Amino acid sequence: MPTLRVDHAKCTECRMCYYACEEIGINAVYIDLEPRHRFEIDAHKCTYPTCVVCLMYCPAPGSIVEVETGRSLVPPPPDLWRDRSEKWLRDVILAAKERP
Amino acid sequence: MATALPGKELAEALEAESRPRTLRTPMEGIVEAAAAQALTDDQYFRLVGQLWAMKRMYYYVYGAWGSSLTINQYPPSVDYLFAKQIYDESTHEMLYSQAILHKGWAKFQRSALRHPYCQFVPASGIGLYIFSMRGLANYAHSLRMAAIDLGPKVLELGWLERLAAAIEDDYLQKLFASQVPETRSHIIMGRFMVERFVSQPVDVALCKELVSTARRDYTTALLGIADFVLTPAVSPQRSVSH
Repeated sequence: MPTLRVDHAKCTECRMCYYACEEIGINAVYIDLEPRHRFEIDAHKCTYPTCVVCLMYCPAPGSIVEVETGRSLVPPPPDLWRDRSEKWLRDVILAAKERP
Repeated sequence: MATALPGKELAEALEAESRPRTLRTPMEGIVEAAAAQALTDDQYFRLVGQLWAMKRMYYYVYGAWGSSLTINQYPPSVDYLFAKQIYDESTHEMLYSQAILHKGWAKFQRSALRHPYCQFVPASGIGLYIFSMRGLANYAHSLRMAAIDLGPKVLELGWLERLAAAIEDDYLQKLFASQVPETRSHIIMGRFMVERFVSQPVDVALCKELVSTARRDYTTALLGIADFVLTPAVSPQRSVSH
């Protein structure tokens, strides 16, 4: 499964990814416990490419990248704009709730 | 030739007055219990939950302070420093919330918000402190920043450092230790405000009074937290009697 990481050279630390991820209960975006308190993405919790919520909210181009390909996902490329209906979002939230 | 900063001596005096009190805050009981590894997981949850509740309320305090700041009232550095302090407090609030989820004390933030350990109780030590700080919205920005940064923040830095040194758990140790540099910078911001913007005799007198009041009310908040953590039968409301 492809994974995401934050490019700290481009991230503005606006926290939208953190809030969006936490709001839907996935909690994959976290604050690193070092004095700079940078934002990171936990690959074990992140459900990308099923969920792309952080990419939709991120306002800083290039700040979230796909680790395997190195391509920028902000703004989200067209192949990520699949069926993002309400039902899909409900499924993502339910999947997160069911995780132990 | 450089001009002497009008409030330099006052800033040093206010900070020096707060510093020795860092060893006598109600958090000492928690630090000692942590060092002796006598705190249970439930007690750590109580501690983090209440600290989270207090940090959440800083939005309420700073919101009131920010609404009375006018454009060009102060140099841009003051507005920037205030914004940075709000951002830091927000980070600390998020760190506590993250710790609650990471430790498995709650599964989602919304369930943590409903948990009794994480509630903000208006009739409590934290409530007293928060409403006291909110009341400073009517004072000059330089005075209220001095009050919070040279009073409570000096105490906070003291217990944060010692608690981080005492805790065995790696995650919790980092949770507290990582807040130290930002808290230290808040004290420097307070010094900056007093050095440059507090010079009139009336402001000097008010500044001393507000720092002392803020320190006293913050100590009451810590007393409530310490009671809640160390005496599991106590609810957050009890601390209002102190």
